[in-house]
Amino acid sequence: MDQSKQNAPGTGVRADLQAVLDAHAATQDAARKVAVDKQHARGRCTAREGIDQLLDAGSFVEYGGLAKPATKGMQGAADGLVMGTGKVDGRPVAIVAYDYTVYAGTQSAVNHGKISRMFQYAERQRLPVLCWLDGGGARPHDMFVQSMSMSTTFVTFSRLSGLAPTVGIVPGRAFAGHANLAGLSDCAIATKSASMGMAGPPLVEAALGMKLTPEEIGPADVHMKAGSIDLLAEDAADACRLARKYLSYFSGPVAPVAAPDAAKLRDMVPESPRRAYDVRKVVEGMVDADSMLELKPAWGRAMVTALARIDGRTVGVVANQPMFLGGAMDSPACAKSARFVELCDAYDIPLLLLCDTPGLMVGPEIEKTALVRHSARLLSALANATVPMMTVVLRKAYGLGYYIMGSRPLHPAILLAWPTAEFGGMGLEGAASIIYKQELEAIEDVAERAEAHRAFTAELKAYNTSLRVGERVGFDDVTDPADTRRILSATMDTFPEPPRRTTKKLTVSPI
Amino acid sequence: MDVKSEIAGKVWKIVTAVGDTVGEEDEILILESMKMEIPVGAPGAGRISEILVEEAESVQEGQVVARIEA
Repeated sequence: MDQSKQNAPGTGVRADLQAVLDAHAATQDAARKVAVDKQHARGRCTAREGIDQLLDAGSFVEYGGLAKPATKGMQGAADGLVMGTGKVDGRPVAIVAYDYTVYAGTQSAVNHGKISRMFQYAERQRLPVLCWLDGGGARPHDMFVQSMSMSTTFVTFSRLSGLAPTVGIVPGRAFAGHANLAGLSDCAIATKSASMGMAGPPLVEAALGMKLTPEEIGPADVHMKAGSIDLLAEDAADACRLARKYLSYFSGPVAPVAAPDAAKLRDMVPESPRRAYDVRKVVEGMVDADSMLELKPAWGRAMVTALARIDGRTVGVVANQPMFLGGAMDSPACAKSARFVELCDAYDIPLLLLCDTPGLMVGPEIEKTALVRHSARLLSALANATVPMMTVVLRKAYGLGYYIMGSRPLHPAILLAWPTAEFGGMGLEGAASIIYKQELEAIEDVAERAEAHRAFTAELKAYNTSLRVGERVGFDDVTDPADTRRILSATMDTFPEPPRRTTKKLTVSPI
Repeated sequence: MDVKSEIAGKVWKIVTAVGDTVGEEDEILILESMKMEIPVGAPGAGRISEILVEEAESVQEGQVVARIEA
């Protein structure tokens, strides 16, 4: 009799099955106590613990768990990459998780093959992909394995964006190839203690002669301020919660929740047109309670980009932020918003634009940052988006800034203005100087001329208040701030269902 | 801790004084730029040890306008 068909001693299970069960068991955390304890001692959780927190309980189906390193003499569970399919809030996803306890989570010849397999499956099924990026780039030992240089990992992953949401989570350290996957993700999330970089300490030392720790090269707060990551998490558990929350905006409507107190919106914009206020509070007052998820809050701070819901339906909010640069649109803010518009358009999420800007930022310094191109990119993203957009002018609507922020030529589904709205093709003081140039030059007395300039400016302001512009149908209505949410929700009722897509609409650019 | 202006403009109002205790993001002074009053906040909690500008003075982007001792 074939030995493999005999029961293993004392188990009642056939030996061939027992061998498989044993091989699988050896890859689990319970069988790898020393390695798991070491990871916990670093204050970090294992890849499998991460997967457990990301997926619905019991939904994980593992692929390639029995993989072993290609290089002779090396051992490592699943060759350092735990992957498969599962569910998040009942919806299918693909998940790939680098296991730091196996050669620091490095990318090997074999696990490159594994991950490409998973990405290709996700591509075919249009599955959202969650990447747990805990590792230090390529595994140098595998450089002698021929297939190492033929990996399609990054090419395939690049193509996924726009087909289904991709999320990169950096729970500890992500360098080189791991950072590259974070950079290619639609949404990158890092914990506060995480570090990330295109090159880790050994490469930095070899190239620059600087001996630095991973945290000195690329701490999470640097990446938040530079716009490399979208969300900063307290810890790994919080990162998993944020990843699940992020995905929830891409999976259709949810049951509506309580609306915030609408009357509060009436006092959000200060009476003085010169005073700043936090536009985040306006967004929070307009959307479903606790539904606002701001992306890249520490970069491009002159604008706020956030996913949110109105009566259970996802909306992408792009808002000027008067708290930073007075809401003047600078290059980082334009770049951030352009990319966010692409993200929403790619996944058929309607846009809500909240305008309060004195215009694009001006001056020689800002021109050095290619504002000419970055502002054009935002305008281009909006002009080419096919998702419906809605605009609310909260206060200032000046110049090209307003033109970009959902003005009439962009054909918003509805264009509303609050009573505090003020309009101008350019700043009205400047406009008065140009329009009344001859009249002003004719006045010799300086004080008298300044007074005349003030009067001309006031005249232009009076012509451009929300009521006057409303009379000329410069927008669809002037609205009570407290009624805005109801109008937006009713407008969303008029939107057609997005078409059922079998191909991608567009790729979301990495930055 | 250096308190830096994030925008070029004119100092409109100094709303704190040397010796004041401030929390993170508390307003230290207000600039006037882009025809707006733009608050400059504390980068962290502490006591204001120096205020390096005066009202009506022009400041450049990135200029240190005050210092805070944590």
